[in-house]
Amino acid sequence: MNMRPGGELATRPLHFIWMADCSGSMAVDGKIQSLNTAIKEAIPNMQTVADENPNAQVLVRAIKFSSGAQWHVSQPTEVADFKWDDLTAEGVTDMGRALSLVAEQLAIPPMTERALPPVLVLISDGQPTDDYASGLKAVMEQPWGRKAVRIAIAIGEDADTEVLQRFIGNPELKPLQANNPESLVKYIKWVSTAVLKSASSPASQTLDSATPGANVPIPVLPESASSSAADDVW
Amino acid sequence: MPDGQFTTRRWRIVGHSVRGASHERAGTPNQDAIHWLPASSGDELPLVLALADGHGSAKSFRSETGARLAVETAAAVVRDFLKVQTESLSATKRMAEEWLPGALVRGWQEAVAAHLAAHPLSPDELDPPHASRHANATVALTDSSNSLVAYGTTLLVAAVTESFILYLQLGDGEILNVSAGGEVSKPLPEDARLFANETTSLCSPGAWRDFRVCFQVVSHAPPSLILLSTDGYPNSFLNATGFLKVGSDILAAIRAGGLDAVNENIAAWLTESTRAGSGDDATLGLICAEDAPQRDAHASHTNEDAAGQNRNGAKTGDACDEA
Repeated sequence: MNMRPGGELATRPLHFIWMADCSGSMAVDGKIQSLNTAIKEAIPNMQTVADENPNAQVLVRAIKFSSGAQWHVSQPTEVADFKWDDLTAEGVTDMGRALSLVAEQLAIPPMTERALPPVLVLISDGQPTDDYASGLKAVMEQPWGRKAVRIAIAIGEDADTEVLQRFIGNPELKPLQANNPESLVKYIKWVSTAVLKSASSPASQTLDSATPGANVPIPVLPESASSSAADDVW
Repeated sequence: MPDGQFTTRRWRIVGHSVRGASHERAGTPNQDAIHWLPASSGDELPLVLALADGHGSAKSFRSETGARLAVETAAAVVRDFLKVQTESLSATKRMAEEWLPGALVRGWQEAVAAHLAAHPLSPDELDPPHASRHANATVALTDSSNSLVAYGTTLLVAAVTESFILYLQLGDGEILNVSAGGEVSKPLPEDARLFANETTSLCSPGAWRDFRVCFQVVSHAPPSLILLSTDGYPNSFLNATGFLKVGSDILAAIRAGGLDAVNENIAAWLTESTRAGSGDDATLGLICAEDAPQRDAHASHTNEDAAGQNRNGAKTGDACDEA
């Protein structure tokens, strides 16, 4: 007797979604080029993390938002096959529309209950120009929206950190302030390695509805991620 | 006692636990545990089977021990409880629902306290590498109540007596009934809070309130097979239907080759599942009626016939009786 009981086996999907601000201000001082470079450099790191945990099926997508929002990579793509086409910057900052697009994909279905908590990374350099609150509400109405790992990166000092903090929804986690290309690269690398690794762990956490984000421990940023103000260009 | 049919039945317990594939890669131990009483099952009722899934998180760095203490304590507490029940079924049911969860929590807390007294938390365990290496780690493990978190675990229990079957569950994992006809159902209701890695736990304040309890009087057609598993096993299947099929497949395998042959394969099945599936520790315990292989595969009536249907296609909860 060796017939295994039950149906088909499968690893657990982990959806990772980049949400990138492509408004006109991102064209200033090379911000959009730096973002493109940082994400491209992060892909091999993500592939390494995924290879180290074959029980998590890391699936990557990306949304770009400026005047409106649309999927830059619409299909959940195995990280081994993920490629980044450069974004360009133009238009305003319709962050709310991007959040609404994410919310649609966090519903069950298309998500499954057995998935690992998704990782949402919101990157912005400015003020939302649409009703971001409605988009955020739509995200938080989804169980997977509330339980997603929500990370925000503020590019430059004009970013609306208050809005990004509301997206994170956890007072213990602050938006990551990237004021130069080097810090942006380090934050993107941290999200795509340490955070991804933590989210792909099956370790259980005690139910704690009072503490947002308690279901996935967020690793502490390495000291080297911060840089001196003298290096700031944004 | 009902019609007495159940008194002639003999039951056996088998089960195994395997270390998760991701735990093997990380060098962490199997943090699940399984235990049953009496050790040589089939000898005498009541039988009690307990499973536990230690959380394995950075905060619960002694959860391997916590899970072991949970199953050992629970099996003893439930067996002692059942042995002294001489009241009516309704009184026993009330005690099982209202008193037993608290007794299980207290028993585990006492076992943890004894372990802590013998093995105090070391400075290394309390240092950031274990206790607070994460930005959102908010629990300080420095007082006795919070030190329970270090041992955090779930608990699943099923107990078989001559006249009823009792199920108790705190946290994630699955308990399935398989009828003589091969129909698979869940005796306990779903807990919607168990989602996205989060689980209720023996270490949580007021944990006794989070137990789900089902008291199933066996008046006509008891289940032929009861399965208990930690969540690493069901999470290894593509969907819930694929996991529910485990119940009917195992009953068919018992009928084809006997329970001993099934028992010899459980560890291999779990290992294959965690490697191709969740990567988590996986544990499966079976309580099998010894006459299961001979029972009519098309028995007409089970307690589950009146049960509700959950979103995954398994009937849930309503198998519990009012006694």
